[in-house]
Amino acid sequence: MTRVTASRAAGRRKSAALAAFLLLQAVAAVFFVADAGTDLLSAPTEWHAVLESLVAVVLVAGIGIGSWQLRQTLDRMSEQERALDTARGDLARVIETQFDDWRLTPAERDVGMLALKGLDVAEIASLRSAAQGTVRAQLTRIYAKAGVSGRAQFASWFVEDLLHEGPRA
Amino acid sequence: MAQAQAPGQGGTVVPPDPWDPLVRISHWAIAAAVIANYLLTKPGGIWHVWIGWAVLALLGIRLIWGIIGTAEARFSAFPPNPRAAVRHLFDLFGGRAREHPSHNPAAAIMVYALWACLATVTATGLVMTGAKSPVTIAEEKAAVAAGDWSVLVKPDGEGENEGDDNERGLGKAAGEVHEVAANLMVVLALLHVAGVAVESRALGRNLVRPMILGRRRRR
Repeated sequence: MTRVTASRAAGRRKSAALAAFLLLQAVAAVFFVADAGTDLLSAPTEWHAVLESLVAVVLVAGIGIGSWQLRQTLDRMSEQERALDTARGDLARVIETQFDDWRLTPAERDVGMLALKGLDVAEIASLRSAAQGTVRAQLTRIYAKAGVSGRAQFASWFVEDLLHEGPRA
Repeated sequence: MAQAQAPGQGGTVVPPDPWDPLVRISHWAIAAAVIANYLLTKPGGIWHVWIGWAVLALLGIRLIWGIIGTAEARFSAFPPNPRAAVRHLFDLFGGRAREHPSHNPAAAIMVYALWACLATVTATGLVMTGAKSPVTIAEEKAAVAAGDWSVLVKPDGEGENEGDDNERGLGKAAGEVHEVAANLMVVLALLHVAGVAVESRALGRNLVRPMILGRRRRR
């Protein structure tokens, strides 16, 4: 999860840098194009002016291509984000259904979800402003209902579902 | 080409959070340029002209981005529609503000109005300076400062009186338009800021954040 967020942040930074560079390039291009335009107007046949306008055209084309590239990068990023959101939603649904099957009470569902997210007993207790003993007892009951030996097996229940398709025996 | 958002799908219609980087950076760069040229730089000064030219480039690339950019940045995402804009304002003040996939209809009109002002101001600015690039202007100023007044003489020798009068008239008109459009733009910009504040309150959501850095990370 953190790795995904980090890579997404890196993608954002990269596209932001690309955008900033494009804008800078556009500002630079305006001056060059204007210069080339003036030269072309004052001496349209001179080799210098022709060459300069050619360079100006290439420069502008480069900006266009850069913009197009940026658009593609951003599209790809938002597509990945959407796929990730869908996967997340699916996983959440799988967990909810499983909790239903195990007949967890609302409090146990809450604790179970936090435990799946990797919080330890002390953190869960402080989040729910409950005593650590209460949380420990709730976790024990959750493990009993799920028929698992402890936290590791509890978490792996859902991961296993992702690894092998289909319900477990 | 994957559509980033399918408009009209109930709860999923939300403006982008964040806006794409090109929109964000060009937005703040233009805002800074307008503030600088309205309040800080000397009108007609070399900095004023430099910044004006930069705005020309920023506006140009933003308009290109309106054709080839991301879904929410394209013109097609916020067509100018005065009737929808008025309806939106009624909804807003009637307490029925709705989310829109890009700019809301009223904001869309504002965007086009601001762009029109920017284009007018830069175009008249170019007329006023004879479309001379800031580099040329700086060179001329340096030459005059060094005692060479010849650069101020118009190269075309014919039709001095008539042409000059015409040119002066045009320059004067351009100057008037430049000033009026600039004032109008600043009024619109203030209105735009007020609109963002009102809309943020109505939607219960900070609309400025998506324009700066974007979404706070989810749990």
